[in-house]
Amino acid sequence: MKEKNYSPIDYVLLIPGIGFIVVFIASSIIITITQSFGLLSVTGKSQFTIENWKAIFHDKESLDSVLFSLKMGVLSSLGTLIFAFPLALFLRKSGPGKRFLGSLIKIPQFIPALVAAFLIINLISYHGIINEALLALGIIKEPLRMLNDKFGWGVVVIQIWKNTPFVLLILSGSLASIHDDIIDAARNLGAGSFSVLFRIFIPLSMPGILISMILMFIKAFGDFAITSVAGPIYPPSIALRMRNTATLFQEWDKAAVLGVIIILTTLLITWLYSRLAEFVVGEK
Amino acid sequence: MQEKIQKIPLYIRQARRKQSLTTILTAFFIVVQIIWVGLPIFMAVLWSLVDPDHPWSFPSILPEKLSLAQWVYVFKYTNIVRALKTSYMLAPCAVALSFLLGLPTAYVLGRKQIRGKKFFETIVLLPMIMPGMVVALFLSRVFTAFGLAQNFFGLVLAHTLMALPYMIRLLATSFEAIPQDIIDAAENLGANTFVKIKDIFLPMIRPGLLAGIIFAFTTSIEEFNLTFVIGTPTFETIPTILYSFLGYNFIRTNASVVALIMMIPNIILLFIVEDLLKFDYLSASLGKL
Repeated sequence: MKEKNYSPIDYVLLIPGIGFIVVFIASSIIITITQSFGLLSVTGKSQFTIENWKAIFHDKESLDSVLFSLKMGVLSSLGTLIFAFPLALFLRKSGPGKRFLGSLIKIPQFIPALVAAFLIINLISYHGIINEALLALGIIKEPLRMLNDKFGWGVVVIQIWKNTPFVLLILSGSLASIHDDIIDAARNLGAGSFSVLFRIFIPLSMPGILISMILMFIKAFGDFAITSVAGPIYPPSIALRMRNTATLFQEWDKAAVLGVIIILTTLLITWLYSRLAEFVVGEK
Repeated sequence: MQEKIQKIPLYIRQARRKQSLTTILTAFFIVVQIIWVGLPIFMAVLWSLVDPDHPWSFPSILPEKLSLAQWVYVFKYTNIVRALKTSYMLAPCAVALSFLLGLPTAYVLGRKQIRGKKFFETIVLLPMIMPGMVVALFLSRVFTAFGLAQNFFGLVLAHTLMALPYMIRLLATSFEAIPQDIIDAAENLGANTFVKIKDIFLPMIRPGLLAGIIFAFTTSIEEFNLTFVIGTPTFETIPTILYSFLGYNFIRTNASVVALIMMIPNIILLFIVEDLLKFDYLSASLGKL
């Protein structure tokens, strides 16, 4: 164990970075919470009320938005994991051509989310190349509605396309920390590929799997831009509904309630993650 | 012939078979990735080159005639040039400010065993974790109150906020990677603080600093939520212009041009720094809460 190597001055050195983040993030959280209870109101008078909360909870459209965003969060995080994990496993060992493959995979990481949305929209739109190809091959008779579809598959595909490299990056880190000795030992004791996958690779990379899924969930759950260009016409994602409530309908207090719901869900999921990570890794 | 093969031991044959399987799989994945990543980009390039007099529509597989007319149009009649200027002026400011603010914090997080270190490390990630639109919408109230909304300096602050997690985490990881022995040895040999900074810290944090700059830069270039709420309509950046082309009036050809303008510098950057950029740094610095 390292001895104490710090002085009070070190806490002062934390201030520029940590302080900056705390001031901005804390003030936005505080304003969201106070405003959801009618305080610090922009429009009308400021007084404590829980009317806004009641109104949102009795509003079926808001519930639809929450459920839709939850669905997008879960499907996007599972989807990226399914794409990224096999690739990360395959790229764990270096080999001819794998460097090139690695750089190809990384490209979407450097493509801004809105651009990614646009690129995929081109492919999946009503007369996009995928529909045209399927029509030409005689697989379908009518073009499929994949963009702005009711379910939201278009959004999920865009999230997967854009975020697979990010998840791959985190997974590669945790897979790289697994020593070959463990795998060799398991193989010597007669473990097949299946046992190695399910009893070594997956459990030992679980911290990476969990954090990448959490970050993906949060991204997709709170998404505004992608859902607004590729999502269904109804329901809007919760972030989109919040923004419209605030700026189009000027009901900032109700928007603040939606904001608090988004923040709480994010915190809850992050907390669940840390509990799960403790449970899996066994560390405190 | 038959005998010759049988003389090769079994484990070598197995290893060879495994190796050729890996090569085939690599080739397969490369082809899949070229289609998966390349096709969408290729389609955007085609759309951006469609000639306005010969529209590309349903039955034809390729555009009848290619021209640069869309590019000329976008540069002439939209706000793209101004948005480009804003974007590429904002990003360096945000990178510089996040470096200045992040450096001391990263030094402490990387080198000192302070109490509550894990807590502070989580705080650093908050701008990444907090849902962007919520922060943007309600931070805009604060910005408006302090006269920072619709203001260039306000945008720099907002972009710095989003860039800080990458900058601090990546710098902290590279500070952490400096072996204490080297510093002790330098001190034994009489190095003063200035020499230590010049000959140890600066060279050894360079990969992390480079990664931090690149990630802070690309984060600023693609930042949408805060810019959209705090900056428009006074300031338009490339993402907000693209959003306006995608949203209210969907103009595919214009959007293609803007999308390519936004994407090409990033991809070039990726390939230039690929060798310099240690991706291990990223997973090491971002792979934990």
